[in-house]
Amino acid sequence: MDSNSFDAIVVGTGMSGGWAAKELTEKGLKTLVLDRGRMVKHGEYPTANTDPWDLPYGNRITLETRQRKPVQSRTSYPTPAAQHWFVDDLENPYTEVNRFDWIRGYHVGGRSLMWARQSYRFSPMDFEANAKEGVGVPWPVSYDEIAPWYDYVETFAGISGSPEGIPTLPDGKFLPPMELNCVEIDFQKRISEKLGRKLIIGRVANLSAPLTHKESPQRGTCQYRNLCIRGCPFGGYFSSVSATLPSAERTGNMTLRANKIAYEIIYDNDKGRATGVRVLDAESGAQTDYFAKVIFLCASTLGSAFIMLNSTSSRFPNGFGNDSGELGHNLVDHLKAAGVTATADGYLDVAYTGRRANGYYIPRYRNVGNDKRSYLRGFGYQGRASRSGFGRFNDNALIGEELKQAIKEPGPWTVNASSFGEILPNHLNHATIDRSRKDKYGLPVLKFDVQLRENERAMQREMVSDAVEMFEAAGYKDIKVAKEDYAPGLSIHEAGAARMGKDPKTSVLNKFNQVHACKNVFVTDGSFMTSSACQNPSLTYMAFTARAADHAVNELKKGNL
Amino acid sequence: MSEPRDPEMMRRREILRRSAWLLGGAVSAPAALAFLQGCSRQEPGSNKAAWVPQYLQAKEVAIVTAIADIMIPKTDTSGALDADVPAFIDTALLALYPQPDRDRFRVGVAAFADLAKAQGAGKPFLEQEPQARVAFVRQTLETALAAKTDPKPFILTVRELTLLGYLSSRVGITENMEYVPVPTAFHGCVPLSQMKKHVYWE
Repeated sequence: MDSNSFDAIVVGTGMSGGWAAKELTEKGLKTLVLDRGRMVKHGEYPTANTDPWDLPYGNRITLETRQRKPVQSRTSYPTPAAQHWFVDDLENPYTEVNRFDWIRGYHVGGRSLMWARQSYRFSPMDFEANAKEGVGVPWPVSYDEIAPWYDYVETFAGISGSPEGIPTLPDGKFLPPMELNCVEIDFQKRISEKLGRKLIIGRVANLSAPLTHKESPQRGTCQYRNLCIRGCPFGGYFSSVSATLPSAERTGNMTLRANKIAYEIIYDNDKGRATGVRVLDAESGAQTDYFAKVIFLCASTLGSAFIMLNSTSSRFPNGFGNDSGELGHNLVDHLKAAGVTATADGYLDVAYTGRRANGYYIPRYRNVGNDKRSYLRGFGYQGRASRSGFGRFNDNALIGEELKQAIKEPGPWTVNASSFGEILPNHLNHATIDRSRKDKYGLPVLKFDVQLRENERAMQREMVSDAVEMFEAAGYKDIKVAKEDYAPGLSIHEAGAARMGKDPKTSVLNKFNQVHACKNVFVTDGSFMTSSACQNPSLTYMAFTARAADHAVNELKKGNL
Repeated sequence: MSEPRDPEMMRRREILRRSAWLLGGAVSAPAALAFLQGCSRQEPGSNKAAWVPQYLQAKEVAIVTAIADIMIPKTDTSGALDADVPAFIDTALLALYPQPDRDRFRVGVAAFADLAKAQGAGKPFLEQEPQARVAFVRQTLETALAAKTDPKPFILTVRELTLLGYLSSRVGITENMEYVPVPTAFHGCVPLSQMKKHVYWE
C-alpha cells in the first residue's frame, strides 16, 4: 500500500464525517479522513473559558466581521466569542439567484462544534409522508429499519431527554431530562388544558449524567455554562472533536489530514468504480490524489453536492452519479417564521440557577391524527421562559440609583417561541455550479436557486398565529411578533441535494446511502434526505452514517465493493 | 498568569478542583490549562491610563463621560466610569458602528450640548449644577422614548452603549449579581429568597 492509498477515505469531519471515521476505523479499515479547514483538537477552543468582560465590545458582532463574513452575519452567531468558527465569505463566495443563507464552519469538527444540539428522532409518519402524499419520491428506509441505529448513536453520543410515548416523536435511549423551569411547567399545563398541545423539555446532546459507556473518557458532564458554541473543554456536549474523532484516533487506523480540500471524485471507467479523490492543499495549493476502496462523502449537504457536480467524466457528464438529473435538486432547509415573545405574569419570587443550554419543545401537532390543514406537513416549536435580561433597560427611562437598583433585580418573566417547519422537496429548488466565478483556491462556486412556495407560505402564517394563540391561551401579555427575516438556509438545516430512493431514475442514492451508479461511494451528510420532517436533523445523519458504514464494511468483506 | 493570591484565580482553582471531583477527575489537561488562562487578562481600569480616544474628540468624551456617570453612577457598587465605559463607547463606535451611524452619534453629542446650553441660560452642560445635568439627561431621555424615532436618537444610543459597556464589565457583573462561571447544575424553580444575589444568566 503506497502512502496515498487507504482502505477508506472520509471527506469531511462534521457530524457525519466524525461518525464515518469512528465506525470505519473501529471496524478495522485504514481510513484517511480529510477536512478542508484547519485542525481543531479537543480542548483547543480559544474562547471557551473567556469571561464576559474579557470579550471585546460586549461580544457584539463587529463591523470587520460583517465585512469579511456578511453571509455568516445574517445569523446572530459570529460574535467575538464564536466568529472564528464561521467562514470568511469573501474567500468562499457563492452565487444567489435568490437569497440563500449558506452558514458554514471550515475546520475539523465542522458545524458539530457550533450546533444547537437538539436531537430528535424522525417518526414512522415522517418516513411515510412522501409516499402517502405523492410528494418527491418515497423514502426507501422505514422507521423500524433505522430505529436500532438511533439507539446506537444516542447511546454513544449521550442524549438528555424525557420518554413521552409520543408516536410522532419516538423516544430514544435517554440520559436524564433537564428540568423545565416554573413558568415553562405552568405554560405546559395551560396549553395542554386549553389546546391539547404537548410541551416537553428539549432533547439535547448534552451530558445530563455520565455516559452509560466507557468509550469517551475525555468527556465529562454538562456544567450548565451555556457556552457550547465556543466548544466545551469539559466535553459536555457531543461533537466530532469531543467524541467521534477521539474514538477513531484511538483505533490507530485513522490518518486525519486538515487543510485538504477534496474537489473531485476520481472515476475509473474500465472498473466502473471510484478509485479516490482529488485534493488541493489549502495552504500550499498543491494537488494530490488519494486512493481507497471505499469513499464516504460527508462534506455537508452542499459541500458533497459541489464535489459530485464538479466530478464530470464521460460516464457522468452531468456530475458524479447523476443519471437521474436530481443531483443538486430538491434542496430543503427548515422553514422558520417570525419569532413570538410575551410576558408572563407572576412567579416573581422564583427563578433558576445555572445556565441551561436547552429549552422546551412542542412536537408537531398539525396534520397529525384528525387535524387537517390547507397545507401539508407541520412544524414544532422551540423556546424557553426566562427572567428577562439587560435588554429591558434599553427602552426605559430609569437612570442613576433607580437604574442601579433595577440592575440588581431579575427582570419579569418572558417566554419565547420559534419554530422549524418542513419544506417540501421540490425539483425546482436546486444548486448548480457557477463556472463564471472562482473562490480563493481557483475552484468554481455553487449557485443557488431556492424559493419558498405556496405550502411553505401557508405554513409560515400558521407558525406565527399558532404561537400567538398559545400565548393568549396561557394568559400572557405584551405578545410581540418579531420581523420576519427568513431565507432558505438560515436554519442551517440544508438537506436533500442527493436524495435517496428505490429508483435510480429518480434518486441519486440507494437505501444504504450508496450512489446508485457507483456502489463504492457513500454520501451520508444531509444530502441524502428524501424529505426533512420538521425535527432537527443531526441525529438522523448520525444514525444513517453509522448504518452506511456498517453496510460498507459488510459489502467489502463480501467482495461486493 | 496572575499571582496565585488573586482571589479570582483562587476561585477558579477551587472551581476546577470541584469540577474535577464531580467529573471523577476527568478534566483534561488542555481544559484545565484553558480554564486557568482565563485569569491572565487585564483587570478593569488597568488600561485607563493607556486609553487615548480613537474616535471621539476630547469635548465629546467629556459629554459622554458626564452622561454615562449620570446614567450609572457609583453607588454601593461601581459605576460606569469605574468600568471604563467612556473608553468602551469610543472603541465600540469604531468597531461596531458604520460611518453614518458614527457621524450621527457625533452630531447627536453636539445637539445635546447645544440644547443643554440653550435651556441652561447659556451655561454649558458641563458647567451646570449636578441636579440640572441629571434633570436634563432625564428630560432628553423621556422625550426620545416618547418620540420613538428611527434611527434611534443619540441619547438612546449612548444609553445602550453605557449599559452594554457596564454590564459586560467585570465590576458591573460581579458587584451587582452573582457570577458563577461553572454552575455545574441547573435548578428550574428556586425561590429568590434562597439566592444570595440575582444570578448572572446572560
